[in-house]
Amino acid sequence: MRTFAKDAFRGERPWGDTVCDPWFSVHPQITNADMNQELVTNGASKSKRNSKKPEYSRFTQQELPAWKPILTPGWVITSFLAIALLFIPIGLVSLFASMRVVEIVYRYDQDCVPETYRDNVTSYIQNPLTNKTCIKNVTVPKNMEAPIFVYYQLDNFYQNHRRYVKSRSDKQLRNAGDEFSTKGCEPEAKSKAGPIVPCGLIAWSLFNDTYNLLIQDKVLDINKKGIAWKSDTKDKFGSDVYPRNFQAGSLIGGGKLNESVPLSEQEDLIVWMRTAALPTFRKLYGKISSDLKAQDMITVVLENNYNTYSFGGQKKLVLSTTSWIGGKNEFLGIAYLTVGGICLFMALNFILLYIFKPRPLGDPSYLSWNRNTSRQ
Amino acid sequence: MAASNRPHPGPSFQSPGSAGPDLSSPTSSKKSDNSQIANLHPQQRPDTLQNSSSQLSISSNSWRANSVSFGSKGVRYGSRGGAESEGFSMSRREINDEDARLVYVNDPLKTNERFEFAGNSIRTGKYSVFTFLPRNLFEQFHRVAYMYFLVIAILNQLPQLAVFGRGASILPLASVLLVTAVKDAYEDWRRHRSDRIENNRMSSVLVNDRFQHKKWKDIQVGEVIKILATETMPCDIVLLSTSDPTGVAYVQTINLDGESNLKTRYAKRETLSRVPEKDMISGLINCEKPNRNIYGFQANMEIDGKRVSLGPSNIVLRGCVLKNTDWAVGVAVYAGRETKAMLNNSGAPSKRSRLETHMNREIILLSSFLVVLCTIVSVCAGVWLRRHRDELDIMPFYRRKDYSEQEVDNYKYYGWGMEIFFSFLMSVIVFQIMIPISLYISMELVRVGQAYFMIRDDKMFDAASNTRFQCRALNINEDLGQIKYVFSDKTGTLTENKMEFQFASVSGVDYSGEKTEYFGEQGGYSIQVEGQVWRPKMKVQVDRELLQLSQTRNDMKSKEIYDFFLALAACNTIVPIVVNTSDPTEKLIDYQGESPDEQALVYAAAAYGFMLIERTSGHIVIDIQGERQRFNVLGMHEFDSDRKRMSVILGYPDSTVKVFVKGADTTMFKVIDKSLNLDVVKATETHLHSYSSIGLRTLVVGMRGLSIPEFDQWQSSYEIASTALMGRAGLLRKVAINLENNLSLLGASAIEDRLQKGVPEAIESLRTANIKVWVLTGDKQETAISIGYSSKLLTSKMTQIIINNNSKTSCKKSLEDALIMSRKLINVTRASDDDASYVALIIDGTSLVYILDTELEEQLFELASKCAVVLCCRVAPLQKAGIVALIKNRTDDMTLAIGDGANDVSMIQMADVGVGLSGQEGRQAVMASDFAMGQFRFLVPLLLVHGHWNYQRMGYMILYNFYRNALFVLVLFWYVLFTGFTLTTAITEWSSVLYSVIYTAIPTIVIGILDKDLSRRSLMTFPQLYGAGQRQESYNAKLFWLTMADTLWQSIVAFFIPLFAYWKSDIDSSSIGDLWTLAVVFMVNIHLAMDVIRWTWISHASIWGSIIATCICVIVIDAVPVLPGYWAIFNLASSGLFWVCLLGILVAAMIPRFIVKMFMQHCKPCDIQIAREAEKFSNRIESTRNGEIEMYPPQR
Repeated sequence: MRTFAKDAFRGERPWGDTVCDPWFSVHPQITNADMNQELVTNGASKSKRNSKKPEYSRFTQQELPAWKPILTPGWVITSFLAIALLFIPIGLVSLFASMRVVEIVYRYDQDCVPETYRDNVTSYIQNPLTNKTCIKNVTVPKNMEAPIFVYYQLDNFYQNHRRYVKSRSDKQLRNAGDEFSTKGCEPEAKSKAGPIVPCGLIAWSLFNDTYNLLIQDKVLDINKKGIAWKSDTKDKFGSDVYPRNFQAGSLIGGGKLNESVPLSEQEDLIVWMRTAALPTFRKLYGKISSDLKAQDMITVVLENNYNTYSFGGQKKLVLSTTSWIGGKNEFLGIAYLTVGGICLFMALNFILLYIFKPRPLGDPSYLSWNRNTSRQ
Repeated sequence: MAASNRPHPGPSFQSPGSAGPDLSSPTSSKKSDNSQIANLHPQQRPDTLQNSSSQLSISSNSWRANSVSFGSKGVRYGSRGGAESEGFSMSRREINDEDARLVYVNDPLKTNERFEFAGNSIRTGKYSVFTFLPRNLFEQFHRVAYMYFLVIAILNQLPQLAVFGRGASILPLASVLLVTAVKDAYEDWRRHRSDRIENNRMSSVLVNDRFQHKKWKDIQVGEVIKILATETMPCDIVLLSTSDPTGVAYVQTINLDGESNLKTRYAKRETLSRVPEKDMISGLINCEKPNRNIYGFQANMEIDGKRVSLGPSNIVLRGCVLKNTDWAVGVAVYAGRETKAMLNNSGAPSKRSRLETHMNREIILLSSFLVVLCTIVSVCAGVWLRRHRDELDIMPFYRRKDYSEQEVDNYKYYGWGMEIFFSFLMSVIVFQIMIPISLYISMELVRVGQAYFMIRDDKMFDAASNTRFQCRALNINEDLGQIKYVFSDKTGTLTENKMEFQFASVSGVDYSGEKTEYFGEQGGYSIQVEGQVWRPKMKVQVDRELLQLSQTRNDMKSKEIYDFFLALAACNTIVPIVVNTSDPTEKLIDYQGESPDEQALVYAAAAYGFMLIERTSGHIVIDIQGERQRFNVLGMHEFDSDRKRMSVILGYPDSTVKVFVKGADTTMFKVIDKSLNLDVVKATETHLHSYSSIGLRTLVVGMRGLSIPEFDQWQSSYEIASTALMGRAGLLRKVAINLENNLSLLGASAIEDRLQKGVPEAIESLRTANIKVWVLTGDKQETAISIGYSSKLLTSKMTQIIINNNSKTSCKKSLEDALIMSRKLINVTRASDDDASYVALIIDGTSLVYILDTELEEQLFELASKCAVVLCCRVAPLQKAGIVALIKNRTDDMTLAIGDGANDVSMIQMADVGVGLSGQEGRQAVMASDFAMGQFRFLVPLLLVHGHWNYQRMGYMILYNFYRNALFVLVLFWYVLFTGFTLTTAITEWSSVLYSVIYTAIPTIVIGILDKDLSRRSLMTFPQLYGAGQRQESYNAKLFWLTMADTLWQSIVAFFIPLFAYWKSDIDSSSIGDLWTLAVVFMVNIHLAMDVIRWTWISHASIWGSIIATCICVIVIDAVPVLPGYWAIFNLASSGLFWVCLLGILVAAMIPRFIVKMFMQHCKPCDIQIAREAEKFSNRIESTRNGEIEMYPPQR
């Protein structure tokens, strides 16, 4: 019983060591008289075994082999030059790529409103009986090689508005059995006839202007297949999900859907449902697989159905070729050239600095205490 | 008690040698130093000091009173230790009835019937199975950070505000809570287990007049308990009787205060003769309420109609072990959680690191920044709603109204004002990580890691005491890198507190000549006892001449030497303990005592052939050159700090009586009869001076013979004094003073208090590191100064200012003079020579009494801050704390206090960082400390290496965390400006949640633990590099604003490059969100990579690993078909634009930082930078520069 008691009541026990770190705290061994004696008599072997000396390892002594880079002037200049040498060519390449892209942007939302409705655009656009067809001509400025992408561009349309973005049900879109999961789709969740498929504000506001292009009175085919992401048509939108009760309410937000075509084939909807990141955006309408020549006159026959007038949005038709860098956008090229230029400039600056104001590396005379004493 | 010794001396009192001078003995002066604290209630010390400075002087005065009582530890007159404190404290305050607890001896039923005293079962576990969840949660939510987490999570649950999904918002909080709860539960389980073991231990308890075994948990207050040798006390008991006829019990208090030497406790005369089984002891103990003062106890006992007072020497506390006593019987007065041991079972007070305090300032800034962001968003949202108020009903992307039913009603629209309010709250939720909650958790993890490395550092392992470094406080690691003042105790801290007898001056002859190692073949003096060899445990070097003289016994000279060593062997409170060795024929005598000086003297006497082999309360046995002699101890006046000497009255076998006195030279020379031999006195004084000038501790020994009338007179007055009810201590002191006079000088001893290994070097390093080292000691001025010299604290070139006054006006005057002088000195010498401008201030405790807490404090501070060295001698524990407070309250400088004894506790707790040395004097200091280690010299690696690293790491980590979170928030914020201010996030909610959990969490912690700006070698070679921490170079307001500016730039780059690159394109929000996520995570990690100084494989793994982990996470998230961003990352990554964007972002974001960094490195290099370069290129420099400028500044 006695040894048992001794073990249980170790030295620091009554004081507790709750403040100590529970994982690493070392409980200092308190040697009572008996143990002292043991240490004395049994000599070194015993004390070695009881020793708490931390075992040496490079890790615990924080002496792991390490790479300790120091940016010497050479390295600084080299890195600036390297960046400059990398960035300027990339900038030039992307600038050229962007410049090679030919883009036709035609804003039609104003032009396509008949003179008589100019003062009351909303009533024109909201009235289903008015003639929405509009025929305009655009000229091709430069040769355009196929494939040519047809986009519609909406300005000032906040497809990233929080209430809008959330108003969809991905479950319902994917799976026929989930047609009732319309949570978050309010106010376009249910109609009197049942759940709306596809539900939500995004689908409800489906863009429904249509474009037909004629070139010298010949119809220019716009291929509307394959405009959506393959992943979306394959996995995200169900091939057994058919639109139901869509646009059946009192308020029509936009395009209607053919109820006999499954969602996975409604590519316009799929494109629309990939909500745009920015308030001004383009969406792919179709692709033209024939080349266009400079000065060609294209006749655009469009149905101006979509209401952007009530919130001052703009609608544009865009025909554009593409490059490895995407559409026509010179920003990146300029940005790269600027960064590259700055780096080149800094490289020169640092070279001058190192020449005219050299500082030997690791020179102890620069240590603050040495500077102070030398000043005195 | 005095009565008990009468039988021996009674008839034998014809004292022929009474005319001859006698000897006496002082106790060590050191002990006063550490015992002074004793009577202060521990909990009283730090708080009172901090709160009101005015209390300091009061309490320090009251300390003086108490210290007297504690200084005298009864060895013989058992009741006295308690009685004296009674004299001072009891006379002033009797125990009030309401403050008292009444314990009926041997009547637990009656004792416990009215009052609910705690049973003896203890419970250190915090939780039970049922209370665990609520209590643990309650405790966890005490942290502001968690509350913030919780509030945000709750806000997010409101449908109007649901920004994130429910799961995503609760997950981080839940995981943190879970981890902490599991850790707490495990710890608590361990506590429960040890409680169970503890509670089921057995003791014998008197039940129905028989001792029976009983579990500890069943012991009740009032029960009589019998403890056998080597058993542990189950509760606090008042001794009734012991196996020793005079009622002495020896206990070891190692479990309580860590002191391994034996302490003596006494049973009262009134009870000690009773046998509990036979004659019923019944009495009533009236004692104070349970408190945590382990050195104090006040009570009185009514027994047989007599009232007896009880003091600290009559109580044995739970956890003590009975030694060298066959049995002891006592009555339980405090049990279970009310025992003093358990009441002391609390940790050191938690301190807050300076860096964290500063950090909180910046956190407030960030919070206001957060509020600004949220306000901008909500105001803009309000303006937007107002501008579009006519279109909101049918706008395709807004649709304020629900037209799906016949009746048109508002759809989730709460009015303009509420919408603004909601968008404010929503923006708080979206931008929540602006306040880096994860930082608090990372900081704790980093500190744990840093502590791990400090503990494992083999350079801070003390082989002598087999102790590792200990981190007791986990939240002030980084403070170690900013210390400007070190307050050090002397004895046991700078010195080893292993006293070693060095020189002796006997009747005017100095024996400080050649030393022999040991004599005899085995070494050391030994005696034969019943065929066994007994030798002292410690070997002492002896002076050959003195040794020879001590062995002869004929001439006058050897007679004096005989008396001298007899005095050394007898005039003390040492208890010899015979211990067995592995060799059955050999035994060691271990001298146990409370004063290391006395131990040294007794060992010395033994080495010269005067071996103390037995001490009981009535007599001592000394083996003098092989001849066993028995002396009756007729009386003893213990050491007190007023007399500064102690005396013992010995009855010789031939019935002569002599009094031996030993004490400090200042008080001894006053009572020495100089008319006898003036030359001897003068010679001794010279020797004393030379001893103390080399840092030795000196004691003077004298003696006097007592004639029978003298003895009778003393005895009767002693009797009266020791039984007096009021003012006992004062009366006893008067008796002692009357006795101790006209002594004849025997000689003086010099004891070396050896400096610990490496102390001078350590002090030198600290001072080079621009840390001021102050020594606060209870020792006398001369000793302090001599230690100052030997530890290189003082140099001969320094000008010493000594303030040593005993009135306020004189203090004021000397302070003013000193100030003028120091100013002059500094002005004069600054221009010319560096070294002589150093001023050392030496001030003593008496002067401090008049200075601290008065208007003079300001002057002292001004003076002290001009001085390079400050030595405070003769200071009380509370004064130590007062001096620390003097600096702490007036400057922003960090203070560190280091000490080893109970007297340093207040100082350790007062200082910003408290370091305890686990040394000779117990564990009080360690218990109160934040860090504990074995040797003073470890302070150098602790501060210069670990402190420096910890500070650099922590400072960088805090800034980096601010940057990391603010960057993310700003990117979110910019996007909100392009979404009609509706708080859409392009970055998926899962990425937002995982950002600070997975994407960026690990590298900052790893770097915070592992990165080293400089190697240990450089830091140790150039202590000046420590200045980086003192100047707060790693974390300051300027750096904060620079970092924030950098963050702003990086966020602009990260956000706007994709924005412009994808403007008017068909990019969808998930894709651009992924781009932003990746860009931000890459940037954050590359930013860190740019600042990493040492790339070990762990840093590589963590940084590149978390980039890879991020990519994997993003891919996994985008592979879930029901999330809107399905497959976005694959589409994105297949376009060249994405990669060009990403590269452009990373480079453009880092360039300004890189330029500024390189420019600063070249033009304004900091010390650390240069040292790093030197580390890498040192060979080249040494060869080229040929040491034109010394790496080391001239040694000061």
